[in-house]
Amino acid sequence: MGFKKLLTKKMEFSASHRYWNPKWSEEKNIEVFGKSAGPYGHGHNYNLEVTVQGEVDAETGMIINLYELKSVMAEVLEDFDHKHLNEDNPHFKHLVPTTENIARVLWDLIEEKLHENPECALYRVRLYETHDLYVDYWRE
Amino acid sequence: MFDTCSNPNGHGHDYYVHVKVSGDINPETGMICDIEELDGIMGPIIDELDYKRLDLELPYFEENQATGENIAKFLWQKIKLKLGDKLIHLKLSETSKSYFEYYEEGNYPYER
Repeated sequence: MGFKKLLTKKMEFSASHRYWNPKWSEEKNIEVFGKSAGPYGHGHNYNLEVTVQGEVDAETGMIINLYELKSVMAEVLEDFDHKHLNEDNPHFKHLVPTTENIARVLWDLIEEKLHENPECALYRVRLYETHDLYVDYWRE
Repeated sequence: MFDTCSNPNGHGHDYYVHVKVSGDINPETGMICDIEELDGIMGPIIDELDYKRLDLELPYFEENQATGENIAKFLWQKIKLKLGDKLIHLKLSETSKSYFEYYEEGNYPYER
């Protein structure tokens, strides 16, 4: 019988965003997105939790070196931390930067970097927008 | 490879162990598992590690690196002997920013 071995690393970043669908009228945007549609955006302290799955290497005792995971996450978050996501991050030029979409984009970016380590697979991305709201994202 | 973790004099963490138990509610006690009994099981196991230099004072960690992954496995095996099928999930927090999980595949209903 197999055992599941998971490692989760957390990292905080701060970003601002605005919910706005350019295909809709101003009235519809305000109706759907409410105060999140404000013209100048607003900010959050996001908390990202990245969970990886793998076998524990007999020599190192690790699934992945935490320093390696930390640097992967820090590199990816450079384009998110202290940025206005709609304006500064190319992934949200045509994508509303909701927590769901940010989690999806982060999954892709982190998975691409983790591909260099075949022993360790991305298992789940959990993104807290505030302490009482989070999104889980994984690929089935 | 191990960076600051390879300091010859070691380093410490305040670990937290979380175990999840599952089972039927005993109709007499209304409990799955008596918390005092659970404390009585986990206390001595944690005492084996608490305030110890793991890689020097415990034979298990002379042979296995004292990583979070291996400490989680060590704890799972020890607690499993006492709790049996009731134990379904173990989580070991190393810092407020990282934690490890260990459980049997197919036997934990809250995957992800």
